[in-house]
Amino acid sequence: MDKKTGRVSDISEDDLKRLEKEAAEEATPSRSRIMWNEFKADKPALISLFILVAFVLFVIIASMFLNVHKVMATDIMNFYNKPFQSGSFLGSDSGGRSIGQQLIIGSRNSISIAIGLTVISSSWGIFWGLTSGYFGGKADLVMQRVYDFMMIIPMLMTIIVIVTIIPHYNAITLTLILSAFYWMGTSRLIRSRTLAETQKDYVRASKTLGTSNWKIIFREIMPNISSLIIVDTTLSFAENIGVETGLSYLGFGLPLGTPSLGTLIANANDPENITQYWWTWLPAALEIIILCLSISYIGQVIRRSSNASQRRATEK
Amino acid sequence: MSLIEVKNLKVHYPIRGGFFNRVVDNVKAVDGVSFSIEEGETIGLVGESGSGKSTTGKAIIGLEEITSGSILYKGKDVTKRTHRKQLKYDEAVQMIFQDSMSSLNPRKRIEDIIAEPLRNFEHLSKDEEKLRVLQLLDIVGLDPDALYKYPHQFSGGQRQRIGVARAVATDPSLIIADEPVSALDLSVQAQVLNFMKKIQREFNISYLFISHDLGVVRHMCDKIAIMHRGRLVEVGTRDDIYDNPQHIYTKRLLAAIPETNVNNREQNRERRLKIEQEYQNEQSQYYDADGLAFPLVQISDTHFVALPKESLNKQGEVNG
Repeated sequence: MDKKTGRVSDISEDDLKRLEKEAAEEATPSRSRIMWNEFKADKPALISLFILVAFVLFVIIASMFLNVHKVMATDIMNFYNKPFQSGSFLGSDSGGRSIGQQLIIGSRNSISIAIGLTVISSSWGIFWGLTSGYFGGKADLVMQRVYDFMMIIPMLMTIIVIVTIIPHYNAITLTLILSAFYWMGTSRLIRSRTLAETQKDYVRASKTLGTSNWKIIFREIMPNISSLIIVDTTLSFAENIGVETGLSYLGFGLPLGTPSLGTLIANANDPENITQYWWTWLPAALEIIILCLSISYIGQVIRRSSNASQRRATEK
Repeated sequence: MSLIEVKNLKVHYPIRGGFFNRVVDNVKAVDGVSFSIEEGETIGLVGESGSGKSTTGKAIIGLEEITSGSILYKGKDVTKRTHRKQLKYDEAVQMIFQDSMSSLNPRKRIEDIIAEPLRNFEHLSKDEEKLRVLQLLDIVGLDPDALYKYPHQFSGGQRQRIGVARAVATDPSLIIADEPVSALDLSVQAQVLNFMKKIQREFNISYLFISHDLGVVRHMCDKIAIMHRGRLVEVGTRDDIYDNPQHIYTKRLLAAIPETNVNNREQNRERRLKIEQEYQNEQSQYYDADGLAFPLVQISDTHFVALPKESLNKQGEVNG
């Protein structure tokens, strides 16, 4: 091809390096920088972030030193130990199993399922929404009917039926089953934004510049709705902790003998536990409340940091 | 042979309605438009908003689905995919958009924005690519430190010049400029237009210049096509259109150019009122029963006008 503009540029290697350095200095603050400033401006959120990170790290590290079988072994001598007495920090349940140790392993199980569920269902939802919104027309029609179909299925019932049918399942299969039913909200949200974003001129420009559709979707449109994606993922993480917990509470979550936040709360099914042995269920309930509140505070900060007009941080 | 020949181009949008969501009617955005663009020439496409001029431009570059008609590039129909590939049509035809803010991805740096066509069409090494982007920035008069900035850090005129640089990156033979300066203020308009002219001289690029601003069109274009309600009403050289307008719609547009001479204010006002009255009273002479323009008739070597044959003194052949 004829290089009509192929003149030799008079810009040297050194100039390029200098320019790069200058650009780095003058650049607008990065996204993480803005977010951190926003956290600093909102004390409750900063505390929430600290609690969440510390708790997750503690639970993951502590659970490495615990043996599930040992923890779940019945020890009749410790039957309903009171908290802060006789060695066990948070007391023990009807089987003499330490509530504190169950709480650590249970939190790890519940949180990792929530993380796995969030990653899988959000990725799928984002993919579905972006594709459906970008291509529009017939593809959109078909994909939205699949969405409608998934929406009208009674979710909880179906999950319970599948869990009962499958012969042996563990945390991974449970995560996959749940993921199949929790992507729809994200997909609809992402689709609506993609519909608007696809109409913008930069998408048209990319088309005329010969960029392929998939590249436009994931390299052009997705970065532009990333704030929405981050906010939605954070908030659905809080929701997903509740999903596993609720299912385990009903007895259809993790298999028997695997502690989880849900099974601990299920102790409250027994009226005796509620009135007399409050330490069997209260810590797990409090933990869920604190976790979900923290995540929702963090989500609000992230949402604000993605929208300049809502920011509270004054400094740049 | 013309660079691009548009033949009887139609772009219709269906209106759906009724019980089964049937197609009940069509919006005829572009309804039988024919013109040709020569190499290195600027053709202005003028008309009121909604007259279909932007749709015509988008149809040529392939952003709009064509209902019927053909677009010949170097004699081959580029509405077919195979021809497009073969002629490297996507590379040869580029576009400058009206809104410079929304046509540049806010999340990308200028380097990545201008390099986008290079990455798609030309496979350059990293350093070659960077140098080429710097050359392009130089061509549109921007400093090299623009390379690492984001679109929002520039003024409107600078952004539009970045759009121009991106369009020129692949050495196109035709650039479709869809109201490139109508979002800019007057002092900046001239600056962008002069860069566009300079680039045209240097690289022998043709422009399809879509605009509603007749002053700008006069400055930029060799040939002008006036569009109204999806059809061309008059085509001719700059002098044909400005000095010898035949169609009432062209006359109206010309009368709408603001006049700065205060002394002739009364005269101008009268002239405008007269033309407006003629337009109101003699619709049937200039438009057919459906309110659409007639087919174009040739009245001189370069001048075509959409008038019924009987009303013309000079008889010419029907074009389109």
